[in-house]
Amino acid sequence: MSQTNNKFDLRLIEMLNKMANVGIYNAARGLSGMVGESLEVENPGVKLVPLADIPNLLGGPEAEAVGIYLRAEGNLGGQIMLVIPYQKSLELADMIIGLPPGTTKQLGSLERSALAEMGNLTGTFFMNAVAEATGLSLRPSPPAVMVDMVGAVLDIVLATAAQLSEHVMMIQATFSCQGRAVNTDFWMIPDRYTLEAIAKRERGSNG
Amino acid sequence: MGNQLAVGLGEIKMSRDPQDLLIAYGLGSCMGIGIYDPVTRVAGLLHAILPIHPGSGDSASKYVDTGIPMLVDMLTRAGALRSRMVVRMAGGANMLVAPGFTNTFDIGSRNIDATHKVLAQMNLKVLGYEVGGNTGRTVRFYVNDGRMTIRTVGNNEREI
Repeated sequence: MSQTNNKFDLRLIEMLNKMANVGIYNAARGLSGMVGESLEVENPGVKLVPLADIPNLLGGPEAEAVGIYLRAEGNLGGQIMLVIPYQKSLELADMIIGLPPGTTKQLGSLERSALAEMGNLTGTFFMNAVAEATGLSLRPSPPAVMVDMVGAVLDIVLATAAQLSEHVMMIQATFSCQGRAVNTDFWMIPDRYTLEAIAKRERGSNG
Repeated sequence: MGNQLAVGLGEIKMSRDPQDLLIAYGLGSCMGIGIYDPVTRVAGLLHAILPIHPGSGDSASKYVDTGIPMLVDMLTRAGALRSRMVVRMAGGANMLVAPGFTNTFDIGSRNIDATHKVLAQMNLKVLGYEVGGNTGRTVRFYVNDGRMTIRTVGNNEREI
């Protein structure tokens, strides 16, 4: 545990928070381009969540959700998982495709690719922010979209994180467009080298 | 209906109250391994995340290879006899089926392999299982009779 706390000290969190903000605002800009409407981001925030609590934060481990998963490749490793409760994913699909609210009733291949693209944009912009802050190269894998129980979707992230630490980083953000708002949770799981690189950079920037 | 005891990630729960129901919700690549002694009617359920314990510090019940012996010990201390123990299990799905991910991330298959190996080494009999595939599962393990049921999204509960 003490090791975990060292890795995630307060200044590091602050740094990650800054990067998450830049990344998410950039992602929203990218999404706006894709949707053709102005998309806003409200209240992005970063917090650390104990591994075992994750499924309970999203309506319980048996609740149905959509997971969009990307892996970072390059000098730095890491994973990004966007988890959206199933009902919210339908609203998000409406928003991205430009349909009136309530149109999408289930996720077909069009809706899934729209969500994958959203994950792709969000993940890419986030990774760019990290790459810029650390000066290291980072590129995302193609996104994988899963629709299943929250617990099962998160197992991918959990299984990797369980080896590294007891806490994982969660970014929460609300995307809104013309009065419609959809909140999403992202799970950013930087590997230890990424964290070290960020921490090093953080120490450097503060003399 | 008796008590529903949720078995969280990396946990083991045991009971000898016939009214109790041990539940592991939303298993993906994780394994839900239930062991039961039908004579003393004591049951335990392990919710393991990874196949092999790294060898230092970490909790034994998070891993298949250390969690199963731990569960067997707990049951033995509660009066169960190793030679009578039977196993039912589920999980080990591969949730990532997109191209490029499959091989590197198949923790599910590694969990299944580790489980079979440990159970064989310990000479434990498997009465039912539903493992692999790529869907999440909720597992219910009944202390009363050692039954195990599985639920997946959009399907009815079924017994294994």
